[in-house]
Amino acid sequence: MNQTSDNTPVVEMRNIKKHFGAVQALRGVDLALHHNEVLGLVGDNAAGKSTLMKVLSGAYIPDGGEILIEGKPVTFANPMDARRQGIEMVYQDYALANNLDVAGNVFMGREVTRLKLGPLGVMNFSYMEQETINLLNRLKIDISSVKLKVERLSGGQRQAVAIARATAFDAKVIIMDEPTAALSVAAIDKVLELVQELKEQGASIIIISHRLEDIYRVSDRMIVLRHGHKVSDTSVEGDIHEFRERVVAYMIGARDDFADRIVAG
Amino acid sequence: MSFIEDTRKFLRENIRDYGMFIALFFIIAFFTVATNGLFLSSRNIVNLVNQTGYIAVLAVGMTLVIVIRHIDLSVGFLAGFLGAVAAIAMVSWGWPVIVVIPFILGLGILAGRLTSFMVADLGIPAFVATLAGWLGYRGALQLVTRSTGTIVIPNDAFNAIGNDFIPEIPVPWIMPEMHKLTLVLGLISIVIFTTSEIINRKRMQRQNIEVSSKEMFILKLVAVSALIGSISWILAGYRGLSWTAVVVLIVVIVYHFMTTKTVLGRHIYAVGGNPEAAELSGISVKRITHVVFGSMGMLSALAGILFAARLQSATTTAGTLFELDAIAASFVGGVSAAGGVGTVIGSLIGALVMSSLTNGMNLMGIDISYQYIVRAIVLAGAVIFDVTTRRTGK
Repeated sequence: MNQTSDNTPVVEMRNIKKHFGAVQALRGVDLALHHNEVLGLVGDNAAGKSTLMKVLSGAYIPDGGEILIEGKPVTFANPMDARRQGIEMVYQDYALANNLDVAGNVFMGREVTRLKLGPLGVMNFSYMEQETINLLNRLKIDISSVKLKVERLSGGQRQAVAIARATAFDAKVIIMDEPTAALSVAAIDKVLELVQELKEQGASIIIISHRLEDIYRVSDRMIVLRHGHKVSDTSVEGDIHEFRERVVAYMIGARDDFADRIVAG
Repeated sequence: MSFIEDTRKFLRENIRDYGMFIALFFIIAFFTVATNGLFLSSRNIVNLVNQTGYIAVLAVGMTLVIVIRHIDLSVGFLAGFLGAVAAIAMVSWGWPVIVVIPFILGLGILAGRLTSFMVADLGIPAFVATLAGWLGYRGALQLVTRSTGTIVIPNDAFNAIGNDFIPEIPVPWIMPEMHKLTLVLGLISIVIFTTSEIINRKRMQRQNIEVSSKEMFILKLVAVSALIGSISWILAGYRGLSWTAVVVLIVVIVYHFMTTKTVLGRHIYAVGGNPEAAELSGISVKRITHVVFGSMGMLSALAGILFAARLQSATTTAGTLFELDAIAASFVGGVSAAGGVGTVIGSLIGALVMSSLTNGMNLMGIDISYQYIVRAIVLAGAVIFDVTTRRTGK
């Protein structure tokens, strides 16, 4: 189901650099994500995965490099900028307000009003609730009522709400930071099914995970980062054992496909 | 499902929301019996409502402050200080009431914004920033009343806010013993409440959202209507609705609507529930902090006006410990110190619970020392109830 007509990547990051004090977190990383592709992003702790994604989602401003969305250069000053350009991030800790209900969380910060009075606008509950019901149905997420407070949901359900929320507003790209961390085995299965469902519906997804079997199961392609460099960019293939060995070799530095990079001062 | 089972389920799921109403009901019933009906007499209830007024207004503002995980200790002396400024404006400067009230409310907003500047922009913990306010406004109150001592306010229009009642419909031949306008207003609120509940229920059913059973729904309508009806009846038996009660009702209705129906209210609760998530969703936590403390300042000013009007004077110690009464009322009313949880109506009920205790025990002639201890037990009990029901509610 690959569109050969549209070869422009939906997102392209070129030579992204970012440092925190003396620590060089990203040393010039390139990344491209194509339409309807699931890209796995792996690497050891402090390899720069989360930093790279926070740059893409507008949470960090890079020191160097450029970001293109569908071929057009963009700059993000904050997460809302990125979101307006169709970049949605699902945070590791779900970033949900537990005291609000499911519909309230899906529409948090983007409440729909039936009386537009700025901040005193009156919310249109029936519209938001109905849209949330439709959204959950479309993604086959099983939650009994959209009026349930999030604090009453299981970990897997919360992650599903967080992902649904990211897809609710015609996102071009959905970034998931460790979507399966802190979940039970059954819940992990559900979340991965949800990722596959999203791909079938045409979404483009970047997924960060420590769990290589998750990446293997849902990703089309995989990028490995190490010490702020990209060391591998290949499609996901072969059997799981061979895949795992290969990834680990990149992660620990035994292999590097880009070893001939020019080391900038 | 049988009605009894349904009732059990309803109680289990809603005990947190209705617990305070039930507690208030039992407190009222107890004092009514213990004082041979004196507690529930029209005169006493009117008095009780007027005593609760300024604390209720502060508790409404405090609810939002605690919801966004802050606290405001400065509100008592701020109220006292602004009440004194109002008195000076009328007595020494000769300003008319119609100018004084908006001016004082404006000063309150400014004071609140000063607090939020320290809290939101400078990152000072609200406890410390408002403790400084507590000291500062106390000093300011003493300073402005130093030369005069208690300032007597000779303005009838201003004092009416704390002492007078809404006008009566001039038809003395119908029910001469009762305040008719109060009864009419009570009836109107019952009609508005009932229709809005029915419309809301129909909407939820249309969307296939689970609603409570028909019996439960009717029971709720009857209970609330009976409550509004009997309060109106009791108030109408004396001189009707006081202006203080009108002010409190307006504040509660406006804030209830704002917190439950508007985008601003939703953002306040989102910030309280998870500030990081709110910020990532494009909600400015700073802006919400400014708004909430600004509203707290304005309500402190209003409380100051109510208190000064009630005493018909500004005193050197006005506002002492109001902040703690307001905080206690909020917690008794179900506000959570962890943030994100608590309602305006709950805090109003909390304020009524606390002042009913004081009032009832006064009528019974109970020693003030025991009164404090009883209120301590109620406050601790309410929070223990809150914490334990939350745990099992998961």
